Amino acid sequence: MITAACGSSTKKGSNTNQGPTTTLGLKNANDTGPGVYGGSLTYGIEADTSGGFCLYKAQLAIGGIQVARAIYDTLTMPGADGKIHPYLAQSVTGTANNTIWTIKLRPGIVFHDGSPLTAQVVKDNLDHYRKDNPLFTFVFADVTAIDVVNTLTVKVTTKVPWSAFPWFLWSSSRLGIMAEAQMQSPDCNTKLIGTGPFEYVSWKFGDKFVAKRNPHYWYKDPATHQQLPFLNQITFVPQEDSAKRTSSLQAGDFQIIHTDDPLEIVKIRKDVAAGTLKDTESDKFTEIGYVMLNVTKAPFNHLSARQAVAYSVDRNVYNRLRNAGILTNATGPFAPGVDGNLADTGLPSVDPAKAKAAAAQYKQETGKDLTFTLDHTADPSTTQDAVLVQQMVQANAGIKVQLNSVPDQSTLINIAIGRGFDATLWRNNPGADDDTQYVWWHCNNSPSLGTDPNGDAACDNLVNFGGFNDPIINTDLDKARSSASPTERTALYEAINREFAKELWLLWAQYTLWTVDYKPNVHGILGPPLPDGAAPFPGLPTGHPVDTLWCDGGKC
Amino acid sequence: MALESAETKIVPGALDPAAIDEPEDEVFEKRRIGVLAWIGIGWLGLVVLIAILAPLLPIKSPTLGDYVHPQAGMFTPGHILGSDDSGRDVLSRVIWGARASLLISLGSIAFGTLIGGLLGLIAGFKGGVTDTVLSAFFNIFLAFPQLVLALTLVSVLAPVKNSGGASSGEWAHRILVVILAVGIVSVPLLGRITRASAISWSQREFVMAARAQGATNRRVMFREVLPNVMPAMLSIALLGVAIVLVLEGALAVFGVSIQEPDPSWGNMIYSQLSNLNSAPTVWIVPSVLIFVSVLALNYLGDVVRARFDVRESAL
Amino acid sequence: MQVIVRRVIQLMVVLVVVTFFTSILTALLPGDPVTTIAPFTATAQDRTNIRNQLNLNENIVVRYGKWLGHFVTGDMGREYAGTGVRGQSISERIKDSLPRSLILMLYVQILTLLFAIPLGVYTAYRAGSRVDDLSNGFAFLLLSVPVYVSATLMLLFLSVQHHWLPTEGWVSFGSSPIEHFKHLAMPVLAITIGQVAVYARLLRSDMVATLQEDYILMAKSKGISDQRVLWRHALRPSSLTLLTVAGLNVGQLIGGALIVEVIFHLNGLGFAIGDAINRRQYIALQDYIAVIAIVYVLVNFAVDALYRVLDPRIRGARIG
Repeated sequence: MITAACGSSTKKGSNTNQGPTTTLGLKNANDTGPGVYGGSLTYGIEADTSGGFCLYKAQLAIGGIQVARAIYDTLTMPGADGKIHPYLAQSVTGTANNTIWTIKLRPGIVFHDGSPLTAQVVKDNLDHYRKDNPLFTFVFADVTAIDVVNTLTVKVTTKVPWSAFPWFLWSSSRLGIMAEAQMQSPDCNTKLIGTGPFEYVSWKFGDKFVAKRNPHYWYKDPATHQQLPFLNQITFVPQEDSAKRTSSLQAGDFQIIHTDDPLEIVKIRKDVAAGTLKDTESDKFTEIGYVMLNVTKAPFNHLSARQAVAYSVDRNVYNRLRNAGILTNATGPFAPGVDGNLADTGLPSVDPAKAKAAAAQYKQETGKDLTFTLDHTADPSTTQDAVLVQQMVQANAGIKVQLNSVPDQSTLINIAIGRGFDATLWRNNPGADDDTQYVWWHCNNSPSLGTDPNGDAACDNLVNFGGFNDPIINTDLDKARSSASPTERTALYEAINREFAKELWLLWAQYTLWTVDYKPNVHGILGPPLPDGAAPFPGLPTGHPVDTLWCDGGKC
Repeated sequence: MALESAETKIVPGALDPAAIDEPEDEVFEKRRIGVLAWIGIGWLGLVVLIAILAPLLPIKSPTLGDYVHPQAGMFTPGHILGSDDSGRDVLSRVIWGARASLLISLGSIAFGTLIGGLLGLIAGFKGGVTDTVLSAFFNIFLAFPQLVLALTLVSVLAPVKNSGGASSGEWAHRILVVILAVGIVSVPLLGRITRASAISWSQREFVMAARAQGATNRRVMFREVLPNVMPAMLSIALLGVAIVLVLEGALAVFGVSIQEPDPSWGNMIYSQLSNLNSAPTVWIVPSVLIFVSVLALNYLGDVVRARFDVRESAL
Repeated sequence: MQVIVRRVIQLMVVLVVVTFFTSILTALLPGDPVTTIAPFTATAQDRTNIRNQLNLNENIVVRYGKWLGHFVTGDMGREYAGTGVRGQSISERIKDSLPRSLILMLYVQILTLLFAIPLGVYTAYRAGSRVDDLSNGFAFLLLSVPVYVSATLMLLFLSVQHHWLPTEGWVSFGSSPIEHFKHLAMPVLAITIGQVAVYARLLRSDMVATLQEDYILMAKSKGISDQRVLWRHALRPSSLTLLTVAGLNVGQLIGGALIVEVIFHLNGLGFAIGDAINRRQYIALQDYIAVIAIVYVLVNFAVDALYRVLDPRIRGARIG
């Protein structure tokens, strides 16, 4: 079964201005022994999914992704080696210089409603993703054709050589394969039919999502040859307040939760030391916490404004006060272990003199005092995060910051989409092949949507919420996409990393530490080895598989 | 749906066991409450005074913290009541927060009493169609969940600004908005109470006599009825202030009360709820202050009732 | 018969006024609802469709009229979730959440009265005594604790530290009566705590006045014991204000239980309202408010009927 991975590793950064760069790696509870069938778990998740689960229309954050992973499978899945492997698909091979991708499916897989998994169904899924969803429309913009070759083979043709294409069939577990009956139903967002380990039973928004065991699940644990899943039932309950989520776990109302709130992690670690809880922690392939700036309008369309804020935030103090000191300062969007990671990118560190100078320069350039609004979700913990940022910026640079609290995650996402913000606390870009970040940062510049105040073309990519249009980043992303040379790609992503530090489009804070925390009688968090034998993916920002969850004696 | 109480005759000492021992029970009551009432008045006066003098007091900034002493406990040098997660001084925040909380509670109830009181007075005195319409207005608006209405009103009156930065006068604007929202919400209930009292007093002989003497309605209403109605209004207003003091915290839960980093007693309490142990003075001190103030208001209300022999219950 | 007709008219008037006011308020809410409702995957055509579907292009009276037309025929519509995708049925949501809010409100009223009535009677009986002052003070201590503070403290102590009660969730009476009450114990208590002071004081005040009336003196002079006089003769006519307030409170409790519903994850109507406001689901909001208004009116009809039972003198007095 799953074994504990490496313990903590400590790497001291070379640039002490950046603060400690220790990385945790993966810390997992020892899970030995074959799984036991039976039992029912209640999983406390971060938020409910208001838009529903019509996946090609859905807006899934980690709460929704974790639920989706119970009901659906993706064609591919990454492994511990940081490479992408086939999962629902039997193989995904690239030919003709990676412009033709052949997806071969496994025979005999059925959906929850009994319909078979065929190439036609997969094609319909991918077509929907391509056409009905602006996010995936951008993602799959380089796909020119999807054809059915035979019942179990799909051929995808791409415009450019695309070595990382198989990663997009995973898309952070957002690209689940749905049955025709769901896709064609007007109730698509509530009538969930997938191939996954659990079948949909019921969902009351804000209440709970219930799923029961799929007895015809196609996957057997490659190591122990047991039919998966083990649990009879899994219930997902949303709880946006992270402190309450922990309380409910401690009280036993939840048997398993996930959290990235450092203050809660510290609390849970105490319980783990006392033996009343267990946890799995990982900052491998993790995502980044940052302040997202809207550079399409004042003030952050000026580099001086961005610099003023960057120089005024003391990340070590922030880390100490808000993260209990357990997180690592980020140097860029690529976490340690991810391609393009650099210990020193030239990212500015706190310097009140430079901050004041930059603010003065902004005033000189525009004639106005530098001031902006910082958006954040309303829960007390995030509010205090925003308060600290505001205080530091005011104390170190004399910039007045207005705080705006937003009721929940979904509203914040909508504000970001509408680019109706100045700055907001954000978290994104989980580690994977770096080409997966293309969609968040690239601007096509055709057709032009008019100019922004700087005279550059506005970014036409809706999903680049900050709206930055950086020629170096655009070019390097394109080159890295088409390149088949690992060394060339690494060099390109490192250049992108440095460019971010120079232009300060996004203000990196810390690498996120995601944890899954559970009662001592729960096992099997990371999931089974992949079908081709690869060890399971240790990245947690996109959730984890639920098919190998089991409880002692089959009782949770 | 409205109800007014029938006329009652006052028979002193009927079933009051205290009266059996003390023949002058009214004096007895006044004497007993005396000390506590003065303490209550004193406390409220002190709080109001300190809140007004806030800018002149030698206290730290309420919105800028030092990161040197975050989460300080009580009696830490430099932070006599401790400090919060960002090192902001609790004493200072509590004093500046008093401004916000007191302004909101006093302002909104004053608004409600003024408007609701006036409408209720007119309804109770005039009767007839005026009364029917006004009563219907009161009753219908009581169907609204108050908290929801207050939240919505704040959102309508103070549109959220996602961008654009800070401008001066934000705090004052927000206070005004909350006062207005809570004030509007309190109008129906205050109106009903005033109306009931006005009905009761309007049927008294001396009022009828004044009318018979040819005084205009308006004169009678303001000269004869209003002064008698005011004690009941005052007593309920004091209760109302206490309730709004606590309610302000509920608004903070939804992020519509005073915005960070400005303090109010309510938002200080709410900010620590996820981590009660980490900087306990931040939520304990305002809670104690609210409690003592509520008690003080209660005793004040008792004084008013005893002094003016108010039958405050008629609704 | 005439009474019933009048009642029905009253009900309709309240309903229309309250919901029309809601629609005005929501029209005044800042921001374009389409931006919030439309999933970010919506195209420009989608947004136009939303505007048409929600009648956002029409003026407010017409829009309201259409809503009212649907509502009175029982069609509460669906939440808006995107083109070609059906949102959750609002009546389903009401069917789930309304009973929960009603039950919560019922338990709160019962518990509050259970505490407030004895407290009010006793402090009226011993008006002016030390016990009166202390009880009053204690009741106000409870009133001064905000609901979310008492809820959080209770949770910490009773759930997390001691595992005596569950932290959250709703269990219906049908599936397990014991679990049902265990899950509701803290939410009900949290709300009750803040209400007892107000109810007790209202009752006390009425009782003090009643105890001074002629017929009480007469009963006492007949040799009837204090206890009997208090509970059998004085309580009923003194409870009118209390009853009125309890009736008026219905709307407040349903919507105002919002905080408790969020903390304890009860997913009642209060939570649904807050959610509808956040997600700009205006039709859902109108439906919820309309339902609350109906419940409020019906409860107050019952209160009116109870008046006559409790105090025959009222039958002749002015009733609005």
